[in-house]
Formats: sequence, structure tokens, C-alpha cells
Amino acid sequence: MPSVCFYFQVHQPYRLRNVAPFSEAEGSDLFCDTANSGILWKVARKCYLPTNNKILELIKRFDGRFKVSYSLSGVAIEQMKQFAPDVLDSFVKLADTGCVEFLAETYYHSLAALRDRDEFADQVKAHGELISEYFGQSPRVFRNTELIYNDQIGELVDDLGFRAIMAEGADDILGERTPNFVYKHPHRELRILPKNYKLSDDIAFRFSNQGWEEHPLTTGKFARWLHAHSGNAQVINLFMDYETFGEHQWEATGIFSFLDALPHDVLTAPDWQFQMPSEVVRDVQPAGELSYWRTTSWADQERDITAWLGNRMQREAFDALHELGGHLRRRNNPAALSLWRKLQTSDHFYYMCTKWFADGDVHAYFSPYEGPYDAFINFMNALDEIRQQILSTSARLQGVHS
Amino acid sequence: MKVLMLGWEYPPHISGGLGTACEGLTRGLAAEGVEVTFVVPRAFGDEDAGHMRLVSPQNLKQAVAQAGARVVRRTEVEEETTPELAQIVEINSILRPYQTPETYLRERIEVRNGKRYRVTEHLQSVEDLPEHTESGGGDHYGHDLFSEVHRFADLVGKLAERIDFDVIHAHDWMTYPAGLEARRRTGKPLVVQVHSLEFDRSGEHVNEGIHRIERAGTRSADRVIAVSHYTKSVIERQHGVEPEKIDVVHNGVTRAEAVTRYHVEPDDDEKMVLFLGRVTYQKGPEFFVRAAEKVLSRYKKARFVMAGSGDMLEPMKKLTRDLGIEKHFDFPGFVRGEALEKYFTLADVYVMPSRSEPFGITPLEAMAYDTPVIVSRQSGVSEVLRHALKVDYWDVDRIARLILAVLNHRVLSDEMLEMGTREVLQLHWNAAAKKAVSTYLRVTGSGGAEPVNGSFF
Repeated sequence: MPSVCFYFQVHQPYRLRNVAPFSEAEGSDLFCDTANSGILWKVARKCYLPTNNKILELIKRFDGRFKVSYSLSGVAIEQMKQFAPDVLDSFVKLADTGCVEFLAETYYHSLAALRDRDEFADQVKAHGELISEYFGQSPRVFRNTELIYNDQIGELVDDLGFRAIMAEGADDILGERTPNFVYKHPHRELRILPKNYKLSDDIAFRFSNQGWEEHPLTTGKFARWLHAHSGNAQVINLFMDYETFGEHQWEATGIFSFLDALPHDVLTAPDWQFQMPSEVVRDVQPAGELSYWRTTSWADQERDITAWLGNRMQREAFDALHELGGHLRRRNNPAALSLWRKLQTSDHFYYMCTKWFADGDVHAYFSPYEGPYDAFINFMNALDEIRQQILSTSARLQGVHS
Repeated sequence: MKVLMLGWEYPPHISGGLGTACEGLTRGLAAEGVEVTFVVPRAFGDEDAGHMRLVSPQNLKQAVAQAGARVVRRTEVEEETTPELAQIVEINSILRPYQTPETYLRERIEVRNGKRYRVTEHLQSVEDLPEHTESGGGDHYGHDLFSEVHRFADLVGKLAERIDFDVIHAHDWMTYPAGLEARRRTGKPLVVQVHSLEFDRSGEHVNEGIHRIERAGTRSADRVIAVSHYTKSVIERQHGVEPEKIDVVHNGVTRAEAVTRYHVEPDDDEKMVLFLGRVTYQKGPEFFVRAAEKVLSRYKKARFVMAGSGDMLEPMKKLTRDLGIEKHFDFPGFVRGEALEKYFTLADVYVMPSRSEPFGITPLEAMAYDTPVIVSRQSGVSEVLRHALKVDYWDVDRIARLILAVLNHRVLSDEMLEMGTREVLQLHWNAAAKKAVSTYLRVTGSGGAEPVNGSFF
């Protein structure tokens, strides 16, 4: 009985204020409350609130047969709590239906898995506690930042006790196989749910593209594409940013009507169902082992990590950030640690990407900066600021002791 | 397509970016099969114009001397012309770019007194031509800049009646009267190109005479070419020219065949920050000095070089003394050739804080020497450069902050240069020339048909 498994990513970084010498400091905090609250309100109005309403309505309409999963980063939840508690409440309402699963990820939506396994484990633990606090669930399925995944990360995640992980269904990884099955880590019991990027991106990226030969995408057509896999699929994993609904695809494109009509059209085929990730891995046996011999992600054509760590600025910033981590953790200063961890959020590195800069594309769309160079400069200035704070604290402590 | 092009300087005898732009554009036009007759007020004989027929300046000078101030022996010019696509014609005139009537007069007096070593770029050109200053040629000069402009117009008008062309293309205000005169006498369409506006050069203190000539030229031309969207908007605002009549043609970049690389001493600490250009109001030199003061409060071993001359040079020297940072400053005056290459190579960052820069080609030159750039957003070049740091010229804090960032983070320069070099390579003069040709086609009718004042039957 094949399933459709929806997973939506919900994340908002703490955007930095203009951290710079010679400028008026806006207080000790490094982040721009105005920008962060403004963006959250905008996305809440256009996406989070209306889409949550729609999902809740669909769950009720189909009496529990429509199910979805979310991953909410810790920093997104923090900001909702601070700036838009009604959004957080609407997610709690979804959790109460029993038809919504919340996944585990790093609290700070960070790249720690690639550098610092202790830090990674700490952030995963902190996130799990947050999810448990708000949604009453202990996540069993993990998704790493931007679906960044390889075999080593799989071992880390397995060590932390998770049953399964989401990953990109990259062509070179799958080879002859299709993404429409549950796979298994080559050396561990960890299950892998590969994203069907074609069908996912039909909704997330191509839905409103008038140059696309399939435009306009109707639910009938999309359901036919799903049903065409009958007999040769365990699960179709449709993974996407939640902002697909109302923000990337504006309401006027008909994206909400699409969402509204899709469950019905999927369920017209009697053997098809919606399942949450934990149900999928509970119900089906893995079709085989799948080795992620290279690091994949769900970004760009390359499905690699060059959007975050592809150029020398990104690598230098990443190195400098993690170098500071040792000093910070030794000092055990919770305020400075929290600042440092917010700088680990992958978005800060994404803003420094020069890969597509010449084409002025999607990277520019998401960036609060004029360009990647400004992003790098501001980030390094923020790191300096934290370094100064640590130094001044040490100096004060030395003063006390002497 | 044959073009009568009116300029006022040609490399290497240049005082700004205009001559360089004319060289690039004419080379691009030659590649497009356009025949250019390029008229400049003065030529020196050492112009690098392989794509053009370079008329011997000595002969021309003699011709001009024989003819006095009024006549160019165009017949002589034609006799020497081989069928190259473009040629330079010199007309004896003191016209040089970016002069105000005041500086023109001051220069003239000093030439008469035999003072040849004045430290302005204008006169450095004259130094290369000693016979010119010794010849008593000053007798031929008009009484002021405006009469020179009109005398040039008269000469060009006469020349235009005797040669064959389809369209007149005039570069900046000093040649607009000449362009208008040539059109009046021949009925051929006039394209004026705006590289720089009086507003850019002087801000609110515009010279009314120049402003009027610019306005007349841009309003009455058949079409206007602006070197940037930024300049287009200034033309609309300042002169009320309808935007539909203005085409934007961004400058291209000429890659030097072989850039001289200077060995950079591995002095890790001392970093050089470069300003290179005319030290005038337009170029915003005071923002550079003010930013330097801030940089030095955080980065002691920074050296600031302000290369160039102009009426703001002395005030800038004084400002550095007043701020107590003169020890960190070098003022080498106007540099070119090897010295210019050396500064571009040795600099760790090039800063162009111009108040108003229609295009501004020097950042592209700096990048060719692997020097990253910080450019004013009030410039045309910022429209075509993505891999550069951009500032509002008045934002001294940001200028200082960006300089500090470049000095502190080597990777920033490396990344900007790697990406920027690719970007700059895409800025071809051929592309600029193609756009200019489409402007020509619009004013001549498609395919360069007979102009409007052809036969009437």
C-alpha cells in the first residue's frame, strides 16, 4: 500500500544586525529584532497561518487520513515564541490532531554535523527537548540541515538513537534505484527516506512557472503522476520548504487550492494513503542498502554543500567560527555560547555564496545583504564582537582574582 | 556605416577616462565594420591607434601652423589616408577635457611664462610636446574656453562639408557645438554621447555656460547615448530630455596585452589603500581622507596613496595635516604608465568615492591588476560590477569598515577577484560598439539609408 509522505521545513534564522566598527551599537545583542520580527510576521501572514489552517481543516475533513510531518528549527520556534506566539499555537493545534509528526534536527539549523560531533549532539538534544516541551512528541526521525547527509552523518544519527533520516534522492547516489522506497544505511539499522525531488520540485519550484510544459499543474494531473508508481513504490517522499505555500508560490498562483484538492485526488486510488515518516519506517522493510558516499543536500543542481561551504570566504568563516567554539565552551558562558550557536545557523553561510551570484538568482532572493561580500564582512565582524565579549569577560574575571 | 566622431583626447594623452573610452569604442566599431573619422583638438603622434589610420602629427602641426588657427588642410589629411577604417584628424585647439574656464586661463598664462612643470595632468600632456609650448602657439589660442569650443565647432563644420559620413557622434559637451554645427551644414543626424555631466563634475556649483551647452546638445541631438542608467537618469533630471531618446551603452574593458607585474614585497603588515584619479570635487577625495582617519584608528600600518592632481589636492594635503594623519599619506601627483601600473599592483584595495561618476573605468583597471575595489553607488560602473564592494560616497563609516575588512581578510579580496575577473571579461567593447551601431541605425533609418535632407524629388 503505497504512501505519500509530506515533510515541510519551517525555519527562520536570526539575521544579524549591521555589526560594524564606527556604527552606533544597538545594544549588546548581535541580531536585528526589527528585521527578524518583520520577516516572521510577513511569512506568518502569507504562509504559516493560512497553511496551518488549511492543513488542520484537511486533517479534519479526511478524518485522520491526511497526515503530514514538519521540522521546525529551534531558532524558528524561539522567534515564534518571541514575536508571533499565535503561530506557535497553531502548530500546537496541529500536533494535537495526532496526524502530524515533528522531526528532529539541530536546534540552530547548523552545519555542526560536518565539523563537531559533540556540538551536533548537544544541538540535537536541545532541539528534542524543545519539541517535547511544545508538541509533546519525542522525535524518532531525523532530518539534518538542508538535507545534508552522508554515511558518516548517518552513523552519528544512528548513534543518537534515531530510527530514520530524510535525505536527498540524488541521481548519482540512487543509480538505478528509485527514491520511492525505504532504504537502509550500509552498516547500521538507520532507515533512509530519499526525497523524490522531481515530484517535490514540481510543487515547490515549478508550480507557477508558465514556461513549464506541464503548467498549470492540477491536482488531477499530479495525482495521476503519483498513481503511475502503483506497484513499484513504497512511498513517495514530498519534501519542501513550508514557504512553498503562500510565500514562494503566492496565493494568486492557486497553490492553496492545489493543497486543498490534492488529498482527495490522491485518495481516489483506493490503495494509496498518506503516512507520517515514523509510520512509513514502521510498516515497510527497507528495499536495500544505500550508501551516501558523498555529501549531498537538497540545494541547487549539484545537490551538494557548495552553497554553504563552497568558497574561501565561507570556509574561512566556518573555520573561524568553530575555532572560537573551543574557547567558548571552556569558559562555559551561556550568553556567549548562545550567540555563537546562533551564528552557526546555515543561512549565514548561504548568504556568502558567490556560486550563482552572477546570475542573481534564488540565493540573492533570500539574503538580507546586498551581496555575499557584505555577508562575509558582517559575519566576521560579529565573530570579532563575540571574541571581544569573551576577552572582556576574562579580563574582568582576572581583575577580580588579582 | 561611416561615422564622423568628435572627441577631445586620445590615449596616451588623456586626463580622464574619456580618451580610453573613445579608444575602446572606436576599436569595437572598427571590428563591426564601421568607418570612423575621429577628430580631436590635438594629437601627438604617439597614440596607440593600430586599428586606425594615424595621421602624422608633425605634418598636421605644420599644416595647422601654416594654416593659422582657422583651417585644417583636410586635403592633406586625405592624401595621407590609407583605406583603414578609422583615422584621427587633429585640429589645432587647446581643448582638453574637464577644464573650467578658470583653469584654462591659468594654464595659458603659465605656458606663456615658460613654466612647463606645473603639477596638473593637463600640463603634463603638454610637457611631452615641448615644441608645442616653445612654438609660441599660444598666439593661436582663443581668449577663453568657450571661444575655443566655438572655434572647434567652426573647424569641424568646415571639415564635415568635405568628407563623407552617415552620422555624427559627439563625445561630451565641448564637442556638442561642433556636432551641432556639422549637422547644420550637412543635415546628417547627430548622436551625442554623455560620459560626464557638468552636474557630475561640479555638483550644485555648475558652470552655467557648460550646463547650457550640455542642455542644447542633449535636447537637440537626434539621439543621446548615456554611459550608464545612472547617467541617463541625471540627463533626464538635469536637462529634461525624454528618456525614450536616450540609449544606455555601458563602457567595455580593454584588457592590456601584458600587464606588468611588480614583485610585491612580503610586508605582511603594511597595506596600501589607493585613490587614483583627478583630485576634484566630483571624485570625493575628502571622503577618502575621512575614511582613512577611521581606518587608522583600528589599523595602524595602513598607507594611503592619493594619486592624481586637481584643485582639491592642496586642501586634501591640509586636511591630512589637520587630522594628524599626514605621515600615513603619499601624494605622488598625476601618475601614468609604469608608475600607474605600480600603484595598481601594489595597492591592497582601490577606493573610488566619487560623488557622481557617469561610468568610471578605473575600478575595472584596478581589477585587471588584481586589486579589489570599493566603488561609489553613485557611479555607472557599479551597475555592471557585482563582485565589488559598494558604498554611498558620503558614508565614511562604511567606506572605512569595508577598507578594514579587505585589509583584514585576504579571502575577501581573493574571492572578489576570482569572480570579478570572470565578470569583467564579459564586458567587451564589441558589445558596446554593437549597441552604438544600433543607435546609428535608428537615426539614419534602417540599414543606413539616405538621411532626411537627401534629394526631394
